[in-house]
Amino acid sequence: MPADESSNAPSKSEALKFHYTPADTAISGSEDNPHAKATTHNPAVINAMTESFGDEVIGPVETYANEDTVYVSKDRIADVCRFLKEEQGFNYLADLGGIDRFTQEGRFEVFYNVVNMEAKQRLRLKVRVDEDNLHVPTVTSVYRSANWNEREAYDMLGLIFDGHPDLRRMYMPEDFEYYPLRKEFPQLGVPGSLPLPPQAPDGELTMDPFAAAHGSKPAKSYNEPEIEDE
Amino acid sequence: MAEAPSFPGLDLGDKFRFWPKHNEKIYERLESKHAWIEEKRAAAEAAGDGSPEALTTQPSGDGAPLEAEDPLDHQMTLNIGPQHPATHGVLRCVVKLDGETIEKAVLDIGYLHRGIEKLAEHKTYQEFMPYTDRMDYLSPYSNNVAWCLAVEKLASIDVPERAQWIRMIMCELARISSHCLWLGVGLMDAGAVSGFLWTFQQREDIYSIFDEVAGARFTVSHSRIGGVASDLSAEAFRRIRAFTESFRTELGRWEDFLNRNRIWVDRNKDVGRITREEALELGMTGPNLRGSGVDYDLRRFEPYLKYDEVDFNVPTREEGDCLARYFLRMEEMRESVRIIEQCLERIPEGPIRSDDAKQAYPSKEEVYYSMEGMIHDFMYTDVGTVAPKGAHAYHAIESPKGELGFYLTSDGTGRPARMRVNAPSFTNLQGMEYIMEGSLVADTVVIIGSIDPVMGEADK
Repeated sequence: MPADESSNAPSKSEALKFHYTPADTAISGSEDNPHAKATTHNPAVINAMTESFGDEVIGPVETYANEDTVYVSKDRIADVCRFLKEEQGFNYLADLGGIDRFTQEGRFEVFYNVVNMEAKQRLRLKVRVDEDNLHVPTVTSVYRSANWNEREAYDMLGLIFDGHPDLRRMYMPEDFEYYPLRKEFPQLGVPGSLPLPPQAPDGELTMDPFAAAHGSKPAKSYNEPEIEDE
Repeated sequence: MAEAPSFPGLDLGDKFRFWPKHNEKIYERLESKHAWIEEKRAAAEAAGDGSPEALTTQPSGDGAPLEAEDPLDHQMTLNIGPQHPATHGVLRCVVKLDGETIEKAVLDIGYLHRGIEKLAEHKTYQEFMPYTDRMDYLSPYSNNVAWCLAVEKLASIDVPERAQWIRMIMCELARISSHCLWLGVGLMDAGAVSGFLWTFQQREDIYSIFDEVAGARFTVSHSRIGGVASDLSAEAFRRIRAFTESFRTELGRWEDFLNRNRIWVDRNKDVGRITREEALELGMTGPNLRGSGVDYDLRRFEPYLKYDEVDFNVPTREEGDCLARYFLRMEEMRESVRIIEQCLERIPEGPIRSDDAKQAYPSKEEVYYSMEGMIHDFMYTDVGTVAPKGAHAYHAIESPKGELGFYLTSDGTGRPARMRVNAPSFTNLQGMEYIMEGSLVADTVVIIGSIDPVMGEADK
């Protein structure tokens, strides 16, 4: 609740006191989550990380639904991963990807979901990436399987992974000039950015598959014969 | 740069060439790539005499670069796919051949990319459900359940017991259905067309069960956030029971036919082999990982639904070749039948959906006969489940292809701020690029079948 409750202007959460108003609560529900797993909460591993790297590298730890998320400073992420793999037994990278937190400080995030199969542990690391400096060190030297996931993050969000052996786009063709998973990219795409084949053998290329949504006339695959009114 | 193959019939002349930079980059990559087989050879040389396993597939084992001497024109660049029946979808493999051996392979995916991660950001959690059907379209029910569980974890929604058992039955049926397709198509790739028809007969039975349960044969969308859409009818139970009985016998017949079948074994044995270390390093998942001796099954690793209460084995194999993956999937189907039988025995009576109007749809009786019910239905469609702001959670299930997880981030509205799919086919395909290197062209078909990728999922 806001502190200035006594002031005349009602706070936002009160003005919209309605059954389905999105709850603007802080993170809660960590303890009694019915789907919480025992594997995802590993304070011992996090302590070991802090001991080896110090507080400058290992940032705050968040826990939601019994899942630990450790924020790591960007420059040391490969070292932290190597430590986890070699000393802590996290030998499997389950997932890696980027997040766009548009309008927030430190716009992009990259998360690393690593698994220790012997000890049944799962840990999530996160690094924050600023919009002005989209470079992140690659972890492909530690986990080979990060290769395609990093390519995907590059393709979708434009994050550049320094030292990556093969930083090409993953899904979109190389000729595409945008990063589609960024929040400012429109859902229907940018007209003309991805020409599609013509709708008729001798027709023009389809520059905009959603022409009607952009206020112009969609191309037809055939032309109806003109009927004369005589 | 490698010589780009020219297709005289397809030369568009001065007309637009589709995505010219894209193809250029692929051929560049093919040229500059350090093939894994080169690394293997170097490691074998470093080890001493060169272990025979690493060199068997290599025609000239001396490790000398072959580019300089190619008087017989052995080398060529070959595009397999994207439109090729053996690639099981729109997978494109660009391979550099030396005779019949694949020297280097570059996979190109994205021909089925629909941007479902982007789409999810514009949909409520419930609205997104039908899209999950179209990811791994060979086992839609698993995807529905994976999605529901992820949302339920994010928003901390409890699911009634009966719904969890129903989900388990359906998930295991989806696994059998997916493995049936893998077997049928794999057999057809190896030349046995009749096997395809037998497995599809069983799939047809599963379709009729889905039809009875969900009203749709293929894209079921039957699971709901907070439960399932409808209870199983008596007819559905009868059909499931009949299926488990008949399928056991059928599976036995297939094994009689295949386990000692000379052609099938010869085509699969020692083909596409990955060791335990390689499988972990490449991030393989599901049967492809367990086929190399890694005991990683999410039903055991972090049990969801009621998997910690039923008795089943997680089959693993040590060999890591296509034959191991064949045996493993056959055993998995057998275990699935066992799980279904236990579920049928133990399924309790009770509600099938959460009773909280903020967390799940009300039942249709409420919607039709009470004003509150109708309002709740309307509001749930409009706003849906709302997770707390800043919450983020990852939930994965063991889908037929491997670890299928959703990582959801909430901004306190009814739509996910970011939805991330951890698709098993995507990670498996990454490993396949390395498995293909050093194998024969003819074996590619068997390897693709054995890795069992689904492009709908890999391409997102």
